[in-house]
Amino acid sequence: MAELTHAQEMKERLTPSLTTGHPTYHDVTEAVSIIAEVKTHRNWYIALAISTSITGILGLMLAYLVATGVGVWGNNSPVGWGWDITNFVFWIGIGHAGTLISAILFLFRQKWRTSINRFAEAMTLFAVACAGIYPAVHVGRPWRAYWLFPIPNEFLNMWQNFRSPLLWDVFAVSTYATVSALFWYVGLIPDLATFRDRAKTKGKQIAYGIASLGWRGSATHWKNYEKSYMILAGLSTPLVLSVHTIVSFDFAVSILPGWHTTIFPPYFVAGAIFSGFAMVVTLMVIARWIYKVEHLVTMTHLENMNKVILATGTIVGYAYATEFFTAWYSGNPYESYVFFVSRATGPYAWAYWSMISCNVISPQFFWFKKLRTSLPFMFVISIVVNIGMWFERFVIIATSLHRDYLPASWGYFRPSFVDILTFFGTFGLFITLFVFFTRFLPIIAISEVKGMMAQTHHEEHFLDEAVAASEGKQPVGVAH
Amino acid sequence: MIQIQGIGNQTGKKFWRSLDELSNSPKFQNWVAQEFPEGAADVMDGKSRRKFLQVMAASMGLAGLTACRRPVEKILPYAKSVEGVVMGNSLHFATAMPFNGGAQGLVVESFDGRPIKIEGNTNHPESRGAAGTLAQASVLNLYDPDRSKEVLADGKPSTWDSFSKVAATLPADGEGVRVLSTLVNSPTLAGLRGQLASKMPKAKWVEYEAFTDDTLIEGSQIAFGDALRPQFDFKKANVVVALDFDFLELENRSLGWVKDFSARRKPAPVAAPASHHGAAADAHHAAPAAEAHHGAPAATEHAAAPPAAGEATPGMNRLYAIESNFTLTGVMADNRLRLKPSDVQNFVFDLARALGAITGLQILGQQDRWIKALAKDLQANRGKSIVLAGSRQPAVVHAVVALINQTLGNAGETVTYTKDVRRPVAALKELAGELNSGGVKALVILGGNPVYDAPVDLAFGDAVKKAPLSIHLGPEVNETGVIAKWHLPESHYLEAWGDVASNDGSISIVQPLIEPLFATKSAIEIVGFLLAGKWPKGFELVKAQSKLDEAGWRKALHDGLLAGTAGASVKGAADKTKVEAAVNNAPKTGGRIEVQFFPSHNLWDGRFANNAWLQEAPDPMSKLVWDNAAVMSPKTAKELQVEIIPDDVGMYAQKIIVEIGGQKVEAPVYVLPGHADNTVTLMCGYGRKEIGRVGRGIGYNAFAVRPSTGLGFASANITKAPGTYYMVSTQEHHSQEGRPIVQEAPLAKYEKEPHFAKEEEEHVELFSLFQEHDYSKGNQWGMAIDLNACTGCNSCLIACQSENNIPVVGKEQVGKGREMHWIRLDRYFTGDEEDPQAVYQPMACQQCENAPCESVCPVAATVHSPEGLNDMAYNRCVGTRYCANNCPYKVRRFNYLNFHKDMDELTKMVQNPDVTVRMRGVMEKCNYCVQRIQEAKIKAKAEGRASGAAGPYKVGEFMTACQQTCAADAIVFGNINDPESKVSQLKKDHRNYALLHELNVKPRTTYLAKLRNPNPELA
Repeated sequence: MAELTHAQEMKERLTPSLTTGHPTYHDVTEAVSIIAEVKTHRNWYIALAISTSITGILGLMLAYLVATGVGVWGNNSPVGWGWDITNFVFWIGIGHAGTLISAILFLFRQKWRTSINRFAEAMTLFAVACAGIYPAVHVGRPWRAYWLFPIPNEFLNMWQNFRSPLLWDVFAVSTYATVSALFWYVGLIPDLATFRDRAKTKGKQIAYGIASLGWRGSATHWKNYEKSYMILAGLSTPLVLSVHTIVSFDFAVSILPGWHTTIFPPYFVAGAIFSGFAMVVTLMVIARWIYKVEHLVTMTHLENMNKVILATGTIVGYAYATEFFTAWYSGNPYESYVFFVSRATGPYAWAYWSMISCNVISPQFFWFKKLRTSLPFMFVISIVVNIGMWFERFVIIATSLHRDYLPASWGYFRPSFVDILTFFGTFGLFITLFVFFTRFLPIIAISEVKGMMAQTHHEEHFLDEAVAASEGKQPVGVAH
Repeated sequence: MIQIQGIGNQTGKKFWRSLDELSNSPKFQNWVAQEFPEGAADVMDGKSRRKFLQVMAASMGLAGLTACRRPVEKILPYAKSVEGVVMGNSLHFATAMPFNGGAQGLVVESFDGRPIKIEGNTNHPESRGAAGTLAQASVLNLYDPDRSKEVLADGKPSTWDSFSKVAATLPADGEGVRVLSTLVNSPTLAGLRGQLASKMPKAKWVEYEAFTDDTLIEGSQIAFGDALRPQFDFKKANVVVALDFDFLELENRSLGWVKDFSARRKPAPVAAPASHHGAAADAHHAAPAAEAHHGAPAATEHAAAPPAAGEATPGMNRLYAIESNFTLTGVMADNRLRLKPSDVQNFVFDLARALGAITGLQILGQQDRWIKALAKDLQANRGKSIVLAGSRQPAVVHAVVALINQTLGNAGETVTYTKDVRRPVAALKELAGELNSGGVKALVILGGNPVYDAPVDLAFGDAVKKAPLSIHLGPEVNETGVIAKWHLPESHYLEAWGDVASNDGSISIVQPLIEPLFATKSAIEIVGFLLAGKWPKGFELVKAQSKLDEAGWRKALHDGLLAGTAGASVKGAADKTKVEAAVNNAPKTGGRIEVQFFPSHNLWDGRFANNAWLQEAPDPMSKLVWDNAAVMSPKTAKELQVEIIPDDVGMYAQKIIVEIGGQKVEAPVYVLPGHADNTVTLMCGYGRKEIGRVGRGIGYNAFAVRPSTGLGFASANITKAPGTYYMVSTQEHHSQEGRPIVQEAPLAKYEKEPHFAKEEEEHVELFSLFQEHDYSKGNQWGMAIDLNACTGCNSCLIACQSENNIPVVGKEQVGKGREMHWIRLDRYFTGDEEDPQAVYQPMACQQCENAPCESVCPVAATVHSPEGLNDMAYNRCVGTRYCANNCPYKVRRFNYLNFHKDMDELTKMVQNPDVTVRMRGVMEKCNYCVQRIQEAKIKAKAEGRASGAAGPYKVGEFMTACQQTCAADAIVFGNINDPESKVSQLKKDHRNYALLHELNVKPRTTYLAKLRNPNPELA
């Protein structure tokens, strides 16, 4: 390879290939719109049939649970929370990457986010939907779950206990769900208008017409749109940090050894981003292949996400080490027992070491460019990371609870078939929502990709000129 | 029953929904009356909670029966208030439960005519306010839907009239008539037996129960030439030696033993010179710290504690236990020696020789050190010690023990004797022989279950079948009831008149609290009928026997006791030569492996096997529920290559085959540290075949190998059986992990460092950023639990279950860790695996002032009362379980399923109306019996008592259920702001400490550290 000049190197660095093959605006519109416009493929029905069947299992399990009682799960005394809260935190964590990509990366002007943000935001919403099931049904009397909200009602006749982290959790998660949905929807409006304009059937015209809220693409529209999008991004940014911080308070505010830890908020946030990005990688690797948008969701996107996984995975590993250090340094015998005996060598050691290998060891492979740009490898690692993050929540919840202060009360948790099928069923719900999303909505933010393209082209133009100047040549026009 | 209004009877326009309704056919009537379609209620699985629920499942017929029981004319509102009855208030009646040849004096709470709660009678000399687990749980037997309800002839429903006709055909002179009863400790029944003997001179009366202390009386026959029963005064005893005798077990003949014994577990005030034991001075340097975590003493600031003013306490006693199984007595013991059952005999002989009671050479060389130390200690406490032996030991041991007590000068001091009756041990064997030879025309079995629990070699079931006429009176159609030609339903003691003599001879009237729920009769009524040919009234029989005038009768009923009926002390002189002769003739017993037979702590001889409270009460040592096991030491288990594979909260236990004299039984193994080697303890009372739904298929039947030659113990062959058996327990972890949970120290250390328990909990002064609630005013409830007194007997657990409507969840749910007991008895082992010590710690809600559960409940369902209670608002609870997760003591219980859902209408009658029945999805826990506090409060208010700083309540006016029943007086509850109250004084005790104090939760329940007083020479 010829030696690169300084200017060429600049260009290489400044214009990572966020699209490949230099697509035109029309190409982008076509590529994204066509997914929702072609005749429904047989495979889509098959996917829908499978995912709704699995969702059906979820429905059956929830009905059985509500009809019979929490006893159908494996929860017991001392392990009052088992897979229910584990899965809740797992799903909430998955959601985080979406908000991070759409809000924080937007504010930091990370252009590479544009191709994946829509998908990631959808994932956030669907994951929050899955997560939201658990707090509602894990209570002993689900028909009274609404008592957790400060709704005036004739039964409770009093305020909730605002000292309880569980109540903070209710507010945090419901706020998060609301803002995420708004943010996602506002971003969708210009693209929905595109769909409306391209729609050939009456039904679609009406549906997309209503959903696009009369978007005409006027300069005023764009101005208002950009402003509201910015405000919502600003609102979402603290939520990325606050939601999982408050979820971690459920544990950190308690007095249980293994839960009572001040490191939990940053540790939980890092873990959430870690697992969320892994989930985006898993889904993206599949989606870009199925819907043939490899030129829009490029290896650069995937590689960037893998770098985030590496960074957050290392933070999580550091947090694990810190917990051990604190347990040892504090000299607290209960704390030391939880980490050095109960987790490392106790009955749940298998879960603990699964967590360590999945979360701490597996992302370290991403130090190597070859591995972090290998599709099969990153696909496997992203799944391994999510398994590891599920174990992290399980380890925190179950191992801390099963052996606490008084050895006479120690127990063990084993999931029942209802636990397992309910969790399985939430994946069905998650996938079902995705299957609908990919069929009826723009899976890539068309307007944002276009905006990013325009910007890139100008930069490219400028750089080409610079390169030409340095080589003493006339600039070559870039095909528009 | 619900009457379906037929369409034809209506006036006005007729609307009908189906042709069936229009025609109002009987089929339609039937269809409407049936709530569920046929077979819908039959879906059950084997060993599960459902099985229990099934028991509680409403049976429509039964509901109908209970409704029919009340005569219509009585269902009238009171036109005038009945004296003493205030609607909604409970009444208390004194009665007594005949049991184990003795009696438990009881006071029973009755609500709207239903007996609901059983407590001990404070006036009764044996009970003194306490009640055992079995007595308390017996109220559930009254409402057992599986009770025997009707007369059965050859298994088919019959009537009392038909039975009367058959009974009239018995030979007038009693030729071939045999009566087999349980132990006769009712004066009325004894009187009737006398009358029967004169009316039917050829009839014979035999008494049998599986567990008696006949060997004790036999022993006194050898020693004194008379049937004498020792009465112990533990209050006077500085040294107690228990030889294979779990005398702290509540189901013994006297609860008073536990009362008196625990009174002597309190150490003398520390400032007083340590002089109560000759050996105490040595103990200062000889006794080791009981637990490794007791660090270097650094208690100079606590050095001299002030002596308790004006209290002359004789100080703490010392208990030696020589036993094979690890029993409650062994747990309490200061020095414990594990011996095979047959070796106990030699040990006693050697001890007697060392004390000079008998002459001869010592046999057990290896126990030399023990014998010498024990003999020295006993000699030093002449007249102030008690040696006592258990009924598994042969008569000769009891004879020697009598001689030892005499030699030590204990007789007349700590041990006195009363007259008793000697029962020929071989009587049942003779009866079986007569039955087999066809000499018995009619066999009348009054209570009991001999077909199930008679020695196996008698093949008693087959023998009964040979009698042309066999009649069984029993509370359930048990193994005997099924074989007998006639089964007669027996009244529960709470529904029939009777009387009973307790251990010391005091007579109580068994006063019924309710009309018989079903057409049942009592034993005295049956015998009365055999005598008179017409049905007598139990009341009249008992009253006639008592020979009391109306005032005396009323007083006896009120007090629950006939004053002055305690047996007179008899002076017995043990004959040394006769005892020595018996010792020399004592047969050599035992083998390489010995099996000993224990009555189960919960089911006794099996008569309580259908009682769900007792089935779910954990065995005190193994903590097993819903099963019995073959218990052995870790070493023996290793030798036999049997093991237990722990699983979740249960375990898969290896099964073994126990073979004695050709009889075999298969049993799962439980490995109990501290059990004697080469010995297997079998718990009897399980494995019942003919029983109600609760007890069916639970455990194995140890009576299936119990020979008549070895009722206590026998040598056996043990072989490994293929397969394992799943058992569940309520506690799986048995070590304290070096944590200062049960604080324990030798007495010598306590005398030097009385604050040793507080040192463990010392930490930096914690402060709050917020203004903390002021608890210095008004009533502030608190509790102090003396770990030194607690025997771990479970009676508080049953008291709590009965008082607070705590559901039973069944084996499967306990296996999942969902038992509901509000108070549990944590049992920890300390020391080495083969020969450990054990400690108990009653654990219920600690009512923390800084309750961690309260701050995390999102709906404020658990909140603090101004009186320091951690209240539960059940109807506000949505069931997040966060509170339970955040409870460091893990005492909160969650209704994972609807455990009350299918409770039988009959069983519902046992519920305490003062306590909410919790639905599923709701958290519950101990609340210091808040209903009792409120009751007392209302009473104080109604009486207009002034509310001072100490509150308007008299000390001891009301007690929590656990405190009330505790025979050891280990639990003390009261107002900690009242300087007069016992609890506030105990909280000032040196030994008082707060568990997990370092968490700053400020528990209102505190513990008094455990002490042991080991003999320094045995250290």
